[in-house]
Amino acid sequence: MIDNLLVAAYLIPTLFGLILVAPFGKSIGDSLSARFEIMATERGRITAGLQLITFFGFAVSAQTFWISSKISEGGNFCASSTVFNCDDLIGNNDLNVDPVFGLSWGMIGMMVNAFLLFMVLVIKNEPNGEYTERFIKLGTIITGLGIFVVLLLVSYEIQESKICLYCTTAHIANIAALFGFFRLGKLYDDKSAWKQN
Amino acid sequence: MIGELIEDDNAGTVGSAALSVASLFFIAIMIIAFTANPIAIGTDVGERAPEIEGKAYDGGTWYEFDFEGYFDSSWEQGNVSGQWVALIFMDTDCPYCQQSASNQADWANTYNSNNPNWNGPHVNFIASATELNIQGHDSSRAEIQDFRAEYGHNFPYIDDIDQDNMKEWGIPGTPNYFLIQPDGIIAWVSDDASEDLSQAIQRITPREGA
Repeated sequence: MIDNLLVAAYLIPTLFGLILVAPFGKSIGDSLSARFEIMATERGRITAGLQLITFFGFAVSAQTFWISSKISEGGNFCASSTVFNCDDLIGNNDLNVDPVFGLSWGMIGMMVNAFLLFMVLVIKNEPNGEYTERFIKLGTIITGLGIFVVLLLVSYEIQESKICLYCTTAHIANIAALFGFFRLGKLYDDKSAWKQN
Repeated sequence: MIGELIEDDNAGTVGSAALSVASLFFIAIMIIAFTANPIAIGTDVGERAPEIEGKAYDGGTWYEFDFEGYFDSSWEQGNVSGQWVALIFMDTDCPYCQQSASNQADWANTYNSNNPNWNGPHVNFIASATELNIQGHDSSRAEIQDFRAEYGHNFPYIDDIDQDNMKEWGIPGTPNYFLIQPDGIIAWVSDDASEDLSQAIQRITPREGA
C-alpha cells in the first residue's frame, strides 16, 4: 500500500509534466502564469514540463537503484503475490542490469535523466544560446533510443508476468521526455514562436 | 606573448546547470550509499550465492530445484536455528569426487539436526553434478542416480550436465565445496586448502549454548 503511494508521488508530477508539454496543457499553463511567469509562453511551459519529467524520472530511477540495493541485502520492498511485484524484476540479477556492461538499470536511468535535466536547464536559462539546437536534438535522440530500452524492459515484464510500477513510471518519463523534446524541436524551428519572451 | 581570450557567452548558464545537476546526483548517491548496503552476487566469501538451477533428484523423482527456498534473509549471525547449506560441485566420473563421496555421506549425517551428538545448526547438503569436458566423463541422469545410491547419499543431486551452474559459479574443477550461511551469504569456499568442509563447518557455524 505504502509503496503504491510512493509510486504516485513520482507518477503524478511526471504526468503533470506531460500535460504541460502537450498542446492541451496551454490552459493549465495560462492559469499558472500569474504565479509562474515561465508558463506564459509555450517555450517556457514545455521546458518547465520537461524539467518536471526529467527530475522525477531521475528520482524514480534513484528509487529503483535503491530498491535493487536493498533487495541484494536480502530484504524486500514491494514483493507481492499479485502481478504488481517490483521485487521479482528489480531483484532479478539477470534482468536488473544492462546486458552489455552489467550496469544497474536504475543507475543508467539516473545518469540519463540527470543529463537530460542538465540540457533542459541550459535550454531554459539560455533559450537563444549556442547549445540550444544541439541539446534539443541530443535530447530527442537520447529519449528516442530510450524507447528501445523501454521495449526491452517491457519484454522482461511480459516474460516474468510481473509489472514493476516504479519501472513503468520511469518508462513513462522517458516517453514524456521524448514527446517534450520533439515539441521543443518543432517550436525551435518556428523562430518567431521560439523567441517570444 | 599575448594569448587570445576565448569568450563563451553561455559558460555561466552551462556551468550553473552542470553544478545543479551534479549536486543533485551527488545527493542522491549519498542517500543511497547511507541507507543501503548492497551485497554483490558472487562466489567469494561475503558475497551472495548465485542461483543454482535445474532438475534435482531426491532419491524418488526429478523435480524443479528451488535454491532460494533454502535461505532466510532475516537470519542473524549466531542464530543456531538457521539452516546452512553445503554445496558440492562434482562429476560422477571424477576420481577425486569418488574418493571424497564417502566423507560427504558421513558429513551429511553428522551435521544434521537429527544427530543428537551435534549441537550446531542443520546443514543441508546439495550436490550439483556436472559433466567435465574430459574424455570418458560422459554422464547422464541414470549415472547420477546410481552414484548417489552407491555412496549412500541422502541429499539432492542437481542435473548440471550442461555445466550451466558450473559456469555461473566459475568452478575450475571438481570437487569444489561452498559453505553458505542461512541468509544466502557464502561463508567458506574450498579454495582455502588449509581445511576441508567438515573442519569449516565446525569452525564457522554457531553452537547451542556457546
